[in-house]
Amino acid sequence: MSLASSRNGYAMHTNQTVTAPHVATGSAHGQAHDPAAHAPAPSLWPILLAAALGILVTGLYQIATDISWGKLLTVVGFLGTVVTALGWASTIIVERRQMDPLQTGVDLRKGFLYFLISEGAIFGTFFAHVYYLRAFAPHWPPVGAPHLATTLPAIGTLLLVGSSFTFNWGHHSFLHGKKGAAKNWLLLTAAMGITFLGIQGFEWGTLQNFDKFTLKQGVFGSGYYIMTGFHGLHVMIGLLMIAVVYFRMERGEFNDKYHFSLTAAEYYWHFVDIVWVALFFTIYLF
Amino acid sequence: MSTQEAVLTAPHAQPKAYTGLMDWLTTTDHKKIGLMYLIFAFFNAWVGGILAGLIRWHLWDPAHSPFNGAQYNQIMTMHGTTMIFLAAMPAFAGFGNFLVPLMIGARDMAFPKLNAFAFWIMFPPMLMLHLSFFAHSGAAAGGWWSYPPLSSSQFSAGAGENLWIIAVILLGISSILGAVNFLVTIADMRAPGMTWMKMPMFVWAWEVTAWLLLIAVPVLSGCMVMLLSDRLFGTGFFRPALGGDPLLYQHLFWFFGHPEVYILVLPGFGIISHVLPSFASKKVFGYKGMVYATCCIGLLGFFVWAHHMFTSGISPAAREFFSVASMAIAVPTGVKIYSWLASVWGGTIRFTTAMKFGLGFIALFILGGLTGVMLAVVPFDVTVHDTYFVVAHFHFVLFGGSIMAMMAGLYFWFPKMTGRHLSEKMGNLHFWLFFIGFLWVFTPMHWLGMEGMARRVATYRPEFAFWNKFISLGFLIMLTGAILFLINVVKSCISGERAVGDDPWQINELQQGLEWMTSCPPPAYNFDEIPVVE
Ligand SMILES: [Cu+2]
Repeated sequence: MSLASSRNGYAMHTNQTVTAPHVATGSAHGQAHDPAAHAPAPSLWPILLAAALGILVTGLYQIATDISWGKLLTVVGFLGTVVTALGWASTIIVERRQMDPLQTGVDLRKGFLYFLISEGAIFGTFFAHVYYLRAFAPHWPPVGAPHLATTLPAIGTLLLVGSSFTFNWGHHSFLHGKKGAAKNWLLLTAAMGITFLGIQGFEWGTLQNFDKFTLKQGVFGSGYYIMTGFHGLHVMIGLLMIAVVYFRMERGEFNDKYHFSLTAAEYYWHFVDIVWVALFFTIYLF
Repeated sequence: MSTQEAVLTAPHAQPKAYTGLMDWLTTTDHKKIGLMYLIFAFFNAWVGGILAGLIRWHLWDPAHSPFNGAQYNQIMTMHGTTMIFLAAMPAFAGFGNFLVPLMIGARDMAFPKLNAFAFWIMFPPMLMLHLSFFAHSGAAAGGWWSYPPLSSSQFSAGAGENLWIIAVILLGISSILGAVNFLVTIADMRAPGMTWMKMPMFVWAWEVTAWLLLIAVPVLSGCMVMLLSDRLFGTGFFRPALGGDPLLYQHLFWFFGHPEVYILVLPGFGIISHVLPSFASKKVFGYKGMVYATCCIGLLGFFVWAHHMFTSGISPAAREFFSVASMAIAVPTGVKIYSWLASVWGGTIRFTTAMKFGLGFIALFILGGLTGVMLAVVPFDVTVHDTYFVVAHFHFVLFGGSIMAMMAGLYFWFPKMTGRHLSEKMGNLHFWLFFIGFLWVFTPMHWLGMEGMARRVATYRPEFAFWNKFISLGFLIMLTGAILFLINVVKSCISGERAVGDDPWQINELQQGLEWMTSCPPPAYNFDEIPVVE
């Protein structure tokens, strides 16, 4: 198996190379094997997902501005997004079976990491916001902002950091062929994540109901709710990924070569964890 | 293990074959997606161009204008927004999509479906932007920079501004996913033997551009989330009454906004590095220096953002730093310009239309670069800030730079894209109409600005009337060029001269890209055999 054809992903033909490009006489079409097999298959999923997302965003916006049919659009858009995303994912799972698992695995992992850099930059924007304001504010937290209790969030932090380890052990168990153990570790990870979310929800409720502290009261509240909220959303997405991974592991869809979604979920979980640690120090401790 | 092997040796699933419109809607072929990006950009460039025409119509006479101030603000805002987000960025994404896999000898992008998604996800925001003119209180009117408090719910109450923000966030998704795709494609899918330092300049340009997109665009998205939440949910990120700071918005916006300029011009640099040497019958001069200069520009671009804020109330030390850092970018840019000149110097020049646009690029971009260095000087910037001098400067960079480069690229690679040449006769006329029309329109803006004509304002002092009429007439020259270009594209697609062989310009020997080694247009799978670079 030559490197060149597998790198390009779409077929596993042995590669008979032409020589140097600037000496070669150009392309000679109509060679023995079927080159059309190299072309990626068409797909309806991308355009459908784009449409569904467009509808979802329009619906959400209309809910935010009290336009009557916003809820309908949101439901339609959300269902459309879920269905098309799942359809797309299942197509990729099938397609990857026809490609070089090592190379597509490398591509997917790399792509996912690049994507996480972007996610990090979004969070970075929020962090920049907090640190910039602190640098110029006479008091921080500003006068009138509640003193955030640290005990429960600290427990949440320990849970989330711990869950990064349990996820990692789950991955290791899987790689060593212990699928039962791997699934248990995943369950434990998810349980810790859900507890973390519960703690966050409890804190939000307490702050809003007892301290009457909302996101409209000042920039400290705005930052607090947007950052913990945006992070919480990421935890939820991470939990969703864990659920999908658990389900697929249960069905025996993974093996030592095909387990990208396990890897991706783990990267994502670590990312969410690291962001939380930074967030904990930024908002609660300093 | 046996199931594993059975899976690997299974026959290829027969791809569902679609035809006609469905073929385009479902395609994952990077070449078709690239062409759709270009068509998308072309359409929106016309929308943005028509808005520019409305601006020039409005400014024909300072006293009797067709629009009121509010309408003028919408037109001006949407001209900038459309040109940047819906025309220039998609156009370079189109070139990148079509050319990068071909140049590096790949069969497609790393993630073909993601590629299609990044294209289609531009449609909801495009509709939001264009249709926002029909919203209750019209389109966004806060400029393409959308500074609060002007863009706050207090001063921009309507839905237009909300739609604008949401559209920018959605377009950001497209850019980020596109960037991920380019980075993985370039890192993993180069033909055997094509090391990093053998990559064509256009691919290098896209590598750096993709990094800029990956890091700068999310900052815009985060910033827009905060702005939207200030408007819709009553948060206080940029509202002083709640402890927020509008100046922070400017920092975040320009942290994106300056790299954005390089996102809009680096791929153009890449194109020029192919076109100029090709038609001077030479290889590109100083390849290594060009690569390092490109990386250097990309990196430095992250440390100069506050040169847009010299009059916003930043500290003297910050002014000093950002002034010097901005001027420092002239060094790698100079390296590029001298390398291009050296790439042409002493060569046997063929004055094709592409070459004319390439040389026109150099002339105009140098002027835009020089006024850029002037604007990096704090006292000068403070004097001409918010005047037409700045308008002249960035149009020299973005039209004289980006668009001239796009035109050069289009005349150059059109045979590769379609199998037919654009008409050189019409192209020649198109070039001169654009070149002269451009200078006609934007040169007088320099002295109008120095005399104090304010930008972003719907009217001006009567003594500027002569030059404004002059400029508005120049718009008609550019419009004629654009119409000619449209006719040229349509006509050439149907009945243009057919491209002969794989390498119709006879320049493959001089090029590092592999795109001239396959037919015009290339087959769906690009190469019968993946070439090996020695
Ligand atoms: Cu700048």
